[in-house]
Amino acid sequence: MAEISSDNGRKFTIPIGPQHPALKEPGHFEFVVDGEVIQEASVKLGYAHRGIEKIVEDRNYTQAMYILERVCGICSHVHASALAMGAEQLAGVEAPPRARAIRTLVYELERIHSHLLWLGVAAHEAGFEALFMYSWRDRETIMDILEEISGSRVHYSVNAIGGVRIDISAESAQNILKAVDFLEERSKHYLNVVSSDRVFLQRSRGIGVMSPEEGNRWGVVGPVARASGIKRDVRVDAPYAAYDIFPVTMITASEGDLEARFTVRVRELLESTRLVREVVKNLPEGELTTKVKRKIPPAETVVRIEAPRGELMYYMKSNGTDQPERIHGRTPTIPNMASVLHLTIGHQLADAPMILAGIDPCFSCNDRAVVLKSQSHSDLWSWDQLRQYGIDRYHGRT
Amino acid sequence: MDVLRQLLIIAIFPGGIFMLLIGLVYAWINGKLIARLQNRVGPRWFQPFADMLKLITKEEIVPEGTNKLLFELLPIVALAGPMTAALYVPMAGLRPSSSFQGDLIVTIYLLSLMTLCTGFAGANTRDRFSTIGATRALTQLFSYEAPFLLALLGPAIVAGTWQISEIITTNQGLWLVVTQPISFVIAIIGLMGKLEMHPFDAPEAKTEIVAGALTEYSGRGLALFKVGHYVELVIGLTLVAALFLGGLANPLMFLLKTLGLLLGISFLEALMTRLRIDQTVGLWWRYGSVLALLQLVILVIWSTLVS
Repeated sequence: MAEISSDNGRKFTIPIGPQHPALKEPGHFEFVVDGEVIQEASVKLGYAHRGIEKIVEDRNYTQAMYILERVCGICSHVHASALAMGAEQLAGVEAPPRARAIRTLVYELERIHSHLLWLGVAAHEAGFEALFMYSWRDRETIMDILEEISGSRVHYSVNAIGGVRIDISAESAQNILKAVDFLEERSKHYLNVVSSDRVFLQRSRGIGVMSPEEGNRWGVVGPVARASGIKRDVRVDAPYAAYDIFPVTMITASEGDLEARFTVRVRELLESTRLVREVVKNLPEGELTTKVKRKIPPAETVVRIEAPRGELMYYMKSNGTDQPERIHGRTPTIPNMASVLHLTIGHQLADAPMILAGIDPCFSCNDRAVVLKSQSHSDLWSWDQLRQYGIDRYHGRT
Repeated sequence: MDVLRQLLIIAIFPGGIFMLLIGLVYAWINGKLIARLQNRVGPRWFQPFADMLKLITKEEIVPEGTNKLLFELLPIVALAGPMTAALYVPMAGLRPSSSFQGDLIVTIYLLSLMTLCTGFAGANTRDRFSTIGATRALTQLFSYEAPFLLALLGPAIVAGTWQISEIITTNQGLWLVVTQPISFVIAIIGLMGKLEMHPFDAPEAKTEIVAGALTEYSGRGLALFKVGHYVELVIGLTLVAALFLGGLANPLMFLLKTLGLLLGISFLEALMTRLRIDQTVGLWWRYGSVLALLQLVILVIWSTLVS
């Protein structure tokens, strides 16, 4: 940091966050710039820590599912279904085929709305307001569909332990097919825009290039990895729900720049519309739920799900009661965040918000407490200890 | 009687109240057009008025470490510049209320005052976003100013005078956009650069540097800067329409031509992605200046050959 305050006075630090128009959620980035070029980058996370992992330890599995659904306001279904699938694995039961297909359907509907949302946000970071407004307008179609089938636009609460809570009626199926037809057409248009608009390409082509080797070293996941040519998609690698019956074609690109991240996500929109159509047309008949005992025997499991932003992993441990012993989640933003810090260096300040938006960050999802060095003898903290730690930290802040 | 007339000119028409009102109306039209192009509903007709009223009634906070006099003076100068320029352009299709040899250059200078004030205002506050915004604003000023001036010289060369009223009388009915398309395009895009309109809004890019040079301004200062922008928009449109689109014969022609230009500008604004500051500078120096010079050379050779 001595360099920053050196006498030439050319370098200084630009703070982005905790509150900044480029960030939709609180996070703190510091870019050391020389003129307009970024020399160093650092990030501080944790402004939206909510202690969700601790909260669910005091709830039963069904309550925990509704709490976990609130981890993310965009990809709520992946979190809730992760808990439902984990609980089913721990209890040794399997959801019926129709329930698994409906989960898959909602995964893909959610991916469509998440990617459209991202497309708008990323375009907004680049100052392409027209694309922002259009993609969000089209996103309303999918929000209406989600509301129609589940009753809610954001937290659809589709899951139940052992199955799903909702059924797809024939009428809804027709509406879904109509909506994806419209969205497919729009996605083709957006693909054309993000890969041929010359002014927009000036801001995305060759910016933030990440090679597959770098991507593997930083452990990136999801569309960011696939845009760098890394074949990594849980839906293909380890099919869950009904992805074994309805296989996914993995979308990859080799360029690894922002343009590739745009095209990969928009092509995933097309793939998702195809998949939605297939699932709706071939929905298996049968029950919606299997009976699961309220008390789940002691066991451990790991659930992996391909969230719209990449691999989502949940570790779950049961203790024979109706409450989980421990639930830990790792959301895709954490592994992707490291790539932002590396990729922004050497780029213009104007590119930084776009590179950041390129990984589709979700700060509230990834903010959780990690104790690297235990301060007490026990690794397990009680509520009172946690609370006291929070109070001490608050008073001791500078 | 003469004093009264002067006062009327300054306070009511074409300076003063008239400019404020038409500036706000044009700002609304611009906002509404962009909103409709982006498939939004857009603001209601009184929205700019309400915004300004709100800003004026708000408390103005002078941040620590700034020169208080400069902080309060700069917005006033920024508004006064374009307001003064209103006297030299054929506002509402009427003859300019004041005129002298060389007022074209003075008008262009007065229009630049806004950017200069924005830059100084940013440099005056110690805020980091303001400093970056100020640097960008001044960098941008140096890139579009020369091509913009060269573009407006075209009609002046055709008329053989530097006086706006003379140029308009001489070129009455001549649609110079047909013979000088390059100058016209550069003048329009230069105007967008001057006003920091969308593709050229790197100096106030909100996803990078919050509000650029004006980040620390609130209340009255911000209102004055904003109104200054709106007034400058109207004057720039009037100037370009008068010089390139066959003059402004009457108020109806004024409205038609300036609103037509505004529609074009709104289209460009809605279509474009924000350019990085290096891209803006590159665009102007690599293409803008060269093309403007080319047009000028063609003009000079042509007029020499003809005479």
